[in-house]
Amino acid sequence: MKRSVSENEEILLSPGYSEIVIDAEKPLELNFRAAEKSEVYIRIERAQDIRIRTETEENASVSYLFWNAAGTEITVDEEHHVKRYGTLRIAYAEINQGSVKRTAMVTLEDEGAYALVSSAVLCASDKHFVVDVVSQSPHTTGIMENYAVVLEGGKYYMNATGKIVKGAYGSESHQTSRALCFDEKQSSTILPKLLIDENDVQASHATTLGRVDEDQLYYMQSRGLTQKQCTSLISTGYLMPVTRFIEDETLKTKLQEEMERKIADL
Amino acid sequence: MKTLIIENLHVSVEGKEILRGVDLQINEKEIHALMGPNGNGKSTLLAAIMGHPKYEVTEGSITYDGKNVLEMTVDERSRLGLFLAMQNPQEIPGVTNSDFLRAAMNVRREKPVSLFRFIKAMEKTIADLEMKPDLAHRFLNEGFSGGEKKRNEIVQMEMLEPSLAMLDEIDSGLDVDALKIVARVVNRIHEEKGTSLIIVSHYDRFYQLVQPEFAHVLVNGRIVLEGGKEIIDRINSEGYDWIYREYGIEPETAEEKQRPKISLGACAVNKGMK
Repeated sequence: MKRSVSENEEILLSPGYSEIVIDAEKPLELNFRAAEKSEVYIRIERAQDIRIRTETEENASVSYLFWNAAGTEITVDEEHHVKRYGTLRIAYAEINQGSVKRTAMVTLEDEGAYALVSSAVLCASDKHFVVDVVSQSPHTTGIMENYAVVLEGGKYYMNATGKIVKGAYGSESHQTSRALCFDEKQSSTILPKLLIDENDVQASHATTLGRVDEDQLYYMQSRGLTQKQCTSLISTGYLMPVTRFIEDETLKTKLQEEMERKIADL
Repeated sequence: MKTLIIENLHVSVEGKEILRGVDLQINEKEIHALMGPNGNGKSTLLAAIMGHPKYEVTEGSITYDGKNVLEMTVDERSRLGLFLAMQNPQEIPGVTNSDFLRAAMNVRREKPVSLFRFIKAMEKTIADLEMKPDLAHRFLNEGFSGGEKKRNEIVQMEMLEPSLAMLDEIDSGLDVDALKIVARVVNRIHEEKGTSLIIVSHYDRFYQLVQPEFAHVLVNGRIVLEGGKEIIDRINSEGYDWIYREYGIEPETAEEKQRPKISLGACAVNKGMK
């Protein structure tokens, strides 16, 4: 299923793969509901303000890949709810020139709910993220994996919070954030937070922010690659895993080629 | 004739002079052993030839095939035909061996190598080095054992076909069988492609397998002794002391590394290092 969306809509996801292209001139509100196993590729071609709300029903398993291809600045406000033993995977691919301001609140409402939020950002503009994953019930799992390559003129902001409320025992909250910088004229801010109000939990966070290692560059250049080729290869390797939820090999290859092109054009 | 000519080379690392006037000439198809105790400049010389940014050439010249190597970037030197198998190959997560090697092969040819021919060549090279077939799809050196990293350096050497290859302690971390495999491939590349070699090793075994015709001994940042195979044999049986004795050289490195001794008692009465 492939379709274009430009007006507010309620979308009940059918099992399997679907593709949605957002091409909207005015503010847009989309509600998704998944009750089975679904995989959704959402490509944002044109938009301003988007409000997205998803429901992952009991035992449902759904993966969303949000691929931002918009040329201008967009604002996205998201709310995701995961029910009992539901599995939600969200991947944000931001390899376009346009700026983004994205707020995402993921609520693990009932026992056994699972959410994995990942992002891959090639940042040459203003990329602003506030992501919260909240465990509200026992035995829930929230994972965040954020990867960014920050280029000259790029402004990367990632405020990622994993929260476990009192009573949500046996829950886990983990996050990893990595920003790789190629230039001094950029700014990167990563604010990893863990708000834990329960004793019986597992939680962790890891953050790295830095330039490409000089010895790695030297090693690759010593085999004849120019500095630019080295940075492209490293960046591609850094950001490509965001497409890993895609099961359709043709689409995956297409997206990887688009990413390689964008990176090579830098 | 592609010749490497080094004249009066002085190299500093972080302000400290390591090489103090090195002269060396490597002609096409020659195999040279570069010897000397640890910390006397062997790796520094190879890194300076390849162009590591930390190694600053303060005086002297390096030319290869008539071209001024010192004016070139690291990647230009590689495309000129120089290759350095490193002592500590870097791990590059996210970049597969095959993507990396294919890119490295393509920068030295007009038309990119076809995927089919690349895969065939890669498979053959992996088999030559007796490595696992999944090597191509693994990330560059990531999670490799010490021996796998060293063998992977030779995989790259075989694929890139340099005209002058420098092997910096390629044999450390290799067991006896792996050492034989590496030596076999290195010898074959030398014979088939006429590749010249500069080999740094602490072990006689690798020199026995590769048979350098020339040997140079670096002490205190200078080449103090040059000759043929007989030098390698004598160092193997007697170490370096005879060189210090016969040529009146005082080794500096050992003394410099000693720090003033401070006993715990001295610290306690506040006489610590200033």
